[in-house]
Amino acid sequence: MTVNTPSDLVEAKVNRRGFLFGAAGLAGAGVLVAACGSDNENTADSGDTGGDADNKADASGDAAVATFAAGLEVLAVNTYKGALDAATAGKLGAVPPAVATFVTTAMKHHQEHLDAWNGAITKGGGEAVTEPDATLNPVVAEKFGKVKDVGGAARLALELEEIAAATYLSALAGIKNKDSRKLAASIQAIDAKHAAILHFVLAEYPVPDVFAKTDKAAKPA
Amino acid sequence: MTIDDRAMAEVLEASQDIHSEGIKVAQAVLPQLEEIREDRRGKGINLAEIHRYNQGRRNLLRTLGLGGGNVAGKAALGGLGGLVTALIATPAHADEALDIQILQTASSLEVLAVATYEAALGLPFIKGGNKVVKAFAETTMKQHDEHRAAFQAQTEKLGGTKQTAPNAKFVPVVEGAKPGLKDALAVASLAETLETVATQTYLENIGQLDDTETVTLMGSVMGVETQHAATLRAVKALLMGGAPELIALDASVAAKLPAAAGAVAFPLAFEPTENAADPSTGALK
Repeated sequence: MTVNTPSDLVEAKVNRRGFLFGAAGLAGAGVLVAACGSDNENTADSGDTGGDADNKADASGDAAVATFAAGLEVLAVNTYKGALDAATAGKLGAVPPAVATFVTTAMKHHQEHLDAWNGAITKGGGEAVTEPDATLNPVVAEKFGKVKDVGGAARLALELEEIAAATYLSALAGIKNKDSRKLAASIQAIDAKHAAILHFVLAEYPVPDVFAKTDKAAKPA
Repeated sequence: MTIDDRAMAEVLEASQDIHSEGIKVAQAVLPQLEEIREDRRGKGINLAEIHRYNQGRRNLLRTLGLGGGNVAGKAALGGLGGLVTALIATPAHADEALDIQILQTASSLEVLAVATYEAALGLPFIKGGNKVVKAFAETTMKQHDEHRAAFQAQTEKLGGTKQTAPNAKFVPVVEGAKPGLKDALAVASLAETLETVATQTYLENIGQLDDTETVTLMGSVMGVETQHAATLRAVKALLMGGAPELIALDASVAAKLPAAAGAVAFPLAFEPTENAADPSTGALK
């Protein structure tokens, strides 16, 4: 089976009972027990015999990533929506057609990313994440309040996309469930694409780094 | 038809040897299989693990000369039992082998990318054409060379042999395209193909790798190749739209870009993997 879409991923996870959800100590969040069972290849390969305790520890880590990622995606969707509303209200001055298209496209992508994470979480019985990341939200809100034109909006969008891409990259090695890891990488790729085009719009070289960096990665509070 | 009794006796003896060896293998492996069964009972199917197993199995068969129905290779069956036992007894080694194959294939894609950009830079309409396109080709070639070096170093770090040859599957793609490289659009199309293959290969690999350090390296390179691909898609669109003057790093350009330029670089919300190269395509035999 080729796994190319979030639906495929979710289906694969549900089918093999490897993507279970439940209360495992993370209060207030949908808990993703992603590495349960045969998914926990790292543990198996290392000859670890810790059993359920290790599985739960891995699952807690994956759950935290899923929840945090969903919070980031809510923030991205809200920010793009805010930019769209401001542009529609004429608060950003003249909006070039390509920038308008970019905003609606990127917002749609982030909504799909959010839906993917929440789809996985709710299928396991967890609660969908609907609030933006509590740490980043006030920071972005403050910056958004200072945006006066399209250039400023594009700069803020670039910052968000780079934070998102770096966060996913930073999280990859720690995600035990390989399908979840691939989903995160798939989203990282799209966010990096968004950043490249924003660089171009801002008259900057679109691929500034030889290796994608993690220094802008956000971390859960 | 006559029967050569002596030859028949040899065949029968060989058959008995194979049977005996098979019984020994089964007896040796059975307790381990029982352990695995108990461990995995009720835990469902792991697609990635099946892929890894099949990959390792194909490679083993190829190594033994048994792939593609190679009858002559069946003479090696006597030694197969020992190899299978060893393979099953050391699953970590088998997993590590796939990680090395992945890195070798990644290296082979980077070698091919460097060679392709180098060839493109020799074409008069790139060398003397749009400055941004030329700068992009030069910078991207250097970035791919650094990716190659990183993948090769990681291959050796994991105990493998570094791959220095271009990817065997995609060399014909590049060679086949070369006669048609008559303008910048054709070059951008070929480059985009290679960047997309690299991006999707590394994405697929991220879901297959065991070594976490390699996962981060692969994600880091993928994050750059995907930006190459996005840029090339935008460049292609502007060339096809007859607006090469908009391929410029100039603050005035944004206002002139057509609406489609805001979406053409990323047609999907999730990067697919349908164009990913199989880890065997660049692996050293």
